[in-house]
Amino acid sequence: MAAIEPMEQFLIHRVVDLSPVTIPGLGAVDLSITNSVLCMMIGAALVSAFFMFSAKRALVPGRAQALVEMLYNMIDEVLTGGIIGDRGRPFLPFIFTLFMLIAILNLIGLAPGGFTVTSQLAVTGLLAALTFGTVLVVGFARNGLGFFKLFWPSGMHWGMALFLMPIEMLSFLIRPFTLALRLFGNMLGGHVVVYIFASFVIGLGAYGLSGIGVNNLGLIGSGMSFAMVVALTALDFVIAIIQAFVWSALACVYLNEVVNLDHGH
Amino acid sequence: MAEPVSAAAHSGGLPQLDMAQWPGQMVWMLVIFVVLYLLFAKVFVPRVGGTIDGREDKIAGDIGEARRLRDAAQADADAAAGEMALARARAQKLAIDAQGEAKAAAAARQAEEDAKLAVAMNAAEARIAAARAAAMVHVKAIAVDTAQAMIARLTGVAADASEVERALAAAKPAQA
Repeated sequence: MAAIEPMEQFLIHRVVDLSPVTIPGLGAVDLSITNSVLCMMIGAALVSAFFMFSAKRALVPGRAQALVEMLYNMIDEVLTGGIIGDRGRPFLPFIFTLFMLIAILNLIGLAPGGFTVTSQLAVTGLLAALTFGTVLVVGFARNGLGFFKLFWPSGMHWGMALFLMPIEMLSFLIRPFTLALRLFGNMLGGHVVVYIFASFVIGLGAYGLSGIGVNNLGLIGSGMSFAMVVALTALDFVIAIIQAFVWSALACVYLNEVVNLDHGH
Repeated sequence: MAEPVSAAAHSGGLPQLDMAQWPGQMVWMLVIFVVLYLLFAKVFVPRVGGTIDGREDKIAGDIGEARRLRDAAQADADAAAGEMALARARAQKLAIDAQGEAKAAAAARQAEEDAKLAVAMNAAEARIAAARAAAMVHVKAIAVDTAQAMIARLTGVAADASEVERALAAAKPAQA
């Protein structure tokens, strides 16, 4: 019987060896295609292909086009339009890309044999840095130094505001870490729990079949574990979509603060 | 599958915390994200958004066009109804006028005929009166002759015509 190694599924293997590339400022970086990179590429290719072939210009949409338009309307009306408002339109491609990429990478992780790219802290960290960096760039581009008003609680005694400002600033600076850790944790936890219950199915099943008597109770445990695996896998599918949505919604919330800073919030 | 790049997992820690794996994944993720973002920004979002907006414009345009056509048809119908009423009024007026004219013409002709008839009647009456006067003269002469003849037969004496005439004149008022 194989050893129970819940973390083995997160191990990175080289698929195509490439010689390290020297990137200015970073030094030599190993850009070999690993299982993680391969799944990123597959995800991006799937999303691109889906949009390339489904986003037709038909006046009466077919099924695939209707799905694409439903996704577009969800991002446009619920996220950028609903959270940011009239000024949200320019961020539609960014939020759309985030949502589709995170969703497809989460779902690939659930496919048999798929590697969960979003369970890699490096990847969620990079996406969080991108999101946070966009907020910073947009914030300074739109407001200049007025950006710092974000940390000044309005309508409050100055003493109180002065006391709250470091807290506001800390809660702002912690955002990329919470973004990265939320997705990383959800994906890591979901997959580890499924793995452990799946190993119970095998372990208890083997024990149950090892003899007659009390041993056979192991079969009950094995069946219950199997039911858990099915239920948790279903839950993970929901979480895969929800986490993509949560990330996109939070990105919109953060963008809204800096885009509509002059409107008060 | 190739050999694991690192043996971090086997030491019990999280493989995700093996920093040797970070730069490669981050660079690739960045490149893939940027490519995907450019695809969305330049191709997919304009295409889908354009299709949705185009559809909304088309529907709004079609509804507007239909409303415009309906209004035009309504206006045409109103104009036609107005023209109809006008024509009817004109026809009615024409009929009344024609009726009046005809009446007047008939009255004029009748008056003319009446006048002609009156003239003819007067002439006829005059002729009758003349005839009667002539007849009366003859009657008087016949009466005188008759009276003379009767007198001659009865008396055997021939009566003087002037005396008979006088007697007849004297008797006449009673007869009249």
